[in-house]
Amino acid sequence: MQDEQIVAGLHCGEVLADLSEHLDGRLSLDRAERIDEHLAGCAECRRLLDEVTAAVRVVRQLPEEPLPPEVEELLIESLHD
Amino acid sequence: MIADDARVSDETLIGRIAAGDPSAFDRLVRRHQAAVYRFARAAAPVDGDAVEILRETFLAARRAASRHRDETSARPWLLSLARQTIDRRHPGSRETDLTSLRELARAAGWQSGEDGAVDESGPAVEAAFAALPPEDREILTLCDREYLTVDEAARVTGLPDAAVRTRLHRARLRLLARLKEGAGAG
Ligand SMILES: [Zn+2]
Repeated sequence: MQDEQIVAGLHCGEVLADLSEHLDGRLSLDRAERIDEHLAGCAECRRLLDEVTAAVRVVRQLPEEPLPPEVEELLIESLHD
Repeated sequence: MIADDARVSDETLIGRIAAGDPSAFDRLVRRHQAAVYRFARAAAPVDGDAVEILRETFLAARRAASRHRDETSARPWLLSLARQTIDRRHPGSRETDLTSLRELARAAGWQSGEDGAVDESGPAVEAAFAALPPEDREILTLCDREYLTVDEAARVTGLPDAAVRTRLHRARLRLLARLKEGAGAG
């Protein structure tokens, strides 16, 4: 078990809290730069960001199952009652 | 089958539905039924409920058409009606997540010093997604599959923006933990 550390003035826990926001580009420029600095010096946080990024990518690529045809017919019929 | 004309906006269709035009209603249904169904399957706490949620959602949409106020897509509005339908059918089923962010991150391998592979194969991702709690599937569906903004997802779920953001972050960490678990077991 590695210890959490302070890199670029940020504790790993703070970086963890902001990771999704960072990934989605929703942090202020200042904040994003500080997080990037921490990431550059902290392999554990960098790895977590890479992995979360991969998880988001794969969920975005889940196939969009179409509505089963029998459900579609049932739906339209029942809405016309 | 009525061919959909994307040039007719949702807003126009909803206006016609409010005026009692049944063909406009059919078009709105066909345009959004797959997304509402996907959301219902993801967010409902029990399996097998999605078709009824879908039906009730569109019935609610027809009733509420005259009260709809929106300049853009009807998608978030329809999904919020689906959310209300789920709440009505399963009152009190929404859970409050008390797991700390650190616990979730550690379950996903953070600070473990180990490189666990993320299983990115289609079936593994589908299984990992299906095994998540409905709250996680809901927020991932809204934000990462339907690409709703945080604002829109907040409107759908009735949660404050900040809660949407933390919920999304937690859901992503839990999904990651599942994907790595799957890779380890396989
Ligand atoms: Zn760190």
